[in-house]
Amino acid sequence: MGDEPVIVVGVKQVPDDDEVRIDPDTGHLDRASAPAVMNPPDRNALEAALGLRDDAGGTVVAVTMGPPTATDVLEEAVAIGCDDAALITDRAFAGSDTWPTSLTLAAAAESLGADVFVCGEETTDSSTGQVPPGIAAHLGWAQLTYAEELDPEFDDETLVARRDVEGGHEVVAAELPVVVAVAYGEFEPRPAGLHRKLYAESEFEPIELSAEDIGLDDDEVGIDASPTEVGGMETVEPVERERVVVEGVDELADELAETEVFG
Amino acid sequence: MTETAPETDTDGSTDRIDLTDRDTATPDYDDAFDAVVVGAGLAGSTAALTMADEGLDVLLVERGRYPGAKNVFGGVLYTPTLRQLVDVDAAPLERYIAERRFGMLSDEDETAVSISPGEWHDPPHNDSYTVLRGEFDEWLAEQAVEAGATLVTRTTVTGLLREGDRVVGIETDRPDGTIRAPYVVLAEGGNSLVSEGADLKEKDRRENVAVGVKEVLEFPEREHAIEDRFRLTGDAGVSYHYFGEGAVGDAFGGGFIYTNGDTVSVGLAYRLSDAATSQPDPEGTLNAFKTHPAVAPLLRGARTVEYTAKTIPEGGADEIPELVHDGAVIVGDAAGLVLNNGLHLEGTNMAVESGYHAANAVASAAQRGRTDADALAAYREDLESSFVVENLERYEWLIERVQADRELLFEELPRAVADAGSEYFRMDRAPKDQHASTAKRELLRAVGGYTGAAKLAVRYRKLLS
Ligand SMILES: Cc1cc2nc3c(=O)[nH]c(=O)nc-3n(C[C@H](O)[C@H](O)[C@H](O)COP(=O)(O)OP(=O)(O)OC[C@H]3O[C@@H](n4cnc5c(N)ncnc54)[C@H](O)[C@@H]3O)c2cc1C
Ligand SMILES: Cc1cc2nc3c(=O)[nH]c(=O)nc-3n(C[C@H](O)[C@H](O)[C@H](O)COP(=O)(O)OP(=O)(O)OC[C@H]3O[C@@H](n4cnc5c(N)ncnc54)[C@H](O)[C@@H]3O)c2cc1C
Repeated sequence: MGDEPVIVVGVKQVPDDDEVRIDPDTGHLDRASAPAVMNPPDRNALEAALGLRDDAGGTVVAVTMGPPTATDVLEEAVAIGCDDAALITDRAFAGSDTWPTSLTLAAAAESLGADVFVCGEETTDSSTGQVPPGIAAHLGWAQLTYAEELDPEFDDETLVARRDVEGGHEVVAAELPVVVAVAYGEFEPRPAGLHRKLYAESEFEPIELSAEDIGLDDDEVGIDASPTEVGGMETVEPVERERVVVEGVDELADELAETEVFG
Repeated sequence: MTETAPETDTDGSTDRIDLTDRDTATPDYDDAFDAVVVGAGLAGSTAALTMADEGLDVLLVERGRYPGAKNVFGGVLYTPTLRQLVDVDAAPLERYIAERRFGMLSDEDETAVSISPGEWHDPPHNDSYTVLRGEFDEWLAEQAVEAGATLVTRTTVTGLLREGDRVVGIETDRPDGTIRAPYVVLAEGGNSLVSEGADLKEKDRRENVAVGVKEVLEFPEREHAIEDRFRLTGDAGVSYHYFGEGAVGDAFGGGFIYTNGDTVSVGLAYRLSDAATSQPDPEGTLNAFKTHPAVAPLLRGARTVEYTAKTIPEGGADEIPELVHDGAVIVGDAAGLVLNNGLHLEGTNMAVESGYHAANAVASAAQRGRTDADALAAYREDLESSFVVENLERYEWLIERVQADRELLFEELPRAVADAGSEYFRMDRAPKDQHASTAKRELLRAVGGYTGAAKLAVRYRKLLS
């Protein structure tokens, strides 16, 4: 770690769930017409990253891998308080699944000299949750997933996290550098300050990085580097459940006895 | 624990990206803008657009997620002034108004007058179009931004900054949320908490406010329901206004149906004081209106996709607050500029007109380097000599009259007219002469005989003068 920690936070643009219309006739979701917004769990990631800076100082840089229109979420991140933001964009990225996506973010983290890479729990559009562990795997870093609380002990090159685990929580200390995926809903995001928001929306320009800029070859990313194969899509029809309306407990007992649930 | 360096898939030798020479510190925007506009509705966006065209740096502040996100109106947008400022034909319009119909509803009857002049089919279509405010307001704000204004959304103005009596900026709900500017244009609409909070206007009295409720309905099963039911072709549309107890029950106000592209807007507007007393349930009143025998067939098979409610100022010319202050002007609904008298429900044209005149006054004051109220007085003068104040004054008496005669006009007369109509056209074996005189007798009885009718005619003669 240099003198000042560099905290990178990954944000992604997704279709706005509030605006995803359900076609009342077919019951299908119409995502295509929904406007793009910041993936809601990434707001928690931003807050966690800014909280680390509040406690330990340093620089927070938002990154997104996506098309130029994804600049909007970077402006939002800067409005909320990030010091800077980078758009990682390249035609070569088209068709990337979680493998090359996390490789790209890993390479960006390295280029930016990140000590901590904070992510959301998962996205609301693909929701694999594979990207944060993927980044850690590509870089050989430690990872802290489902983090509910963070305690930077950067002087000791350590980040301590309280993790949500089944049946309770555990407290884990990881050596830097580290990837963090914060639990969705934890780290209540702060509102953007007025002057910062004006700056972010009207004057700020993100750093733009291509695959080459972060040391990736075109054949390491994109559809050809994506192991995922979509085998097919099926719409599952719900199974009609049998229903019987009974009056009173006795009748219920009789019914159950008859169906041999119990005797 | 193994101490071998972890394996990485990235090329660690790539150049580090240097962040140190990036300057991303937050600038101070105090007095960076010449004017701040509160509210990106019709009045606000028009003011922002006009000031930007005049070369001013303008900040337009809107509390919604986007301009128009929650804005409610009937509605028919009237565009005579807007057409001078923007390319109205490029705007998201629904239909032009090709027919206006006025229906008097008693409990069960309707007596209606309809007008559809041929020229309304030709551009500029009498400058009357149905629009959906969510789309239109967003578009208009975009025009202001294209002219050079800066728009900031999701930001609620909570107060004004003062230096003595002078308004010198705004306060918002955001952290670090104040911003100073020489001029503030208050375009916050009818619920004008900022102007009231800063004592720039008094709170509207209940009698001077109407409550508006509106539903947007679609016809899921019928592709041409709107064209067929309202007898329309192409982009033509209708504006139907209704009065009488069949429309708003025991209240002072009226109902409306407007056709959009694939939906219809159905709603009511009546006095808030009635909503507090004789006609308490606007939603129930709207449901009764929708099921009136003259209305229900128009809406058969329709499904509600949106329900909204909002207040409408309707105090008339007497209730217009002081429009200019040191460092601030009030425009649109915030200044009570709505004509709502049963015949007309017009606020959009007045919002645009006032925003336009206010913006010009600010631009000219800015050129002279002055922010005092006197330097902005041109706004008040221009508005007073425009149709806005002229119309509000002209119809002031009408609202008072109608209010005084409400029982006669909205209950007795509709019933009498319907009865007289059915008597006049009655099919039986009595001669028509006899039907005609019975009909006449019934009408006369309702208005209080020949003297009553003459008095009524005198009282309302200004309608045609
Ligand atoms: C079966 C399948 C097939 C797919 N096919 C394609 C395809 O053909 N073409 C295509 O473009 N996409 C495709 N995708 C989508 C794409 O793989 C994912 O959107 C992307 O890899 C991120 O994965 P995720 O959304 O599941 O992220 P998650 O792992 O759920 O995200 C967790 C966190 O990682 C961070 N993060 C994730 N993505 C980004 C990003 N882009 N920038 C910055 N931070 C980020 C955020 O902090 C986020 O909260 C496919 C997805 C699946 C599941
Ligand atoms: C039910 C109904 C039907 C109507 N029908 C018609 C019709 O058919 N034809 C017609 O011409 N007129 C009609 N009107 C009147 C018309 O809607 C108004 O006159 C017109 O919208 C006024 O425009 P405005 O810009 O002054 O205010 P608004 O359109 O109310 O815009 C005010 C804007 O300011 C924003 N705002 C408010 N407070 C703040 C704050 N503190 N900080 C930041 N932003 C704020 C709001 O979000 C909004 O965007 C109708 C009104 C109603 C309620």
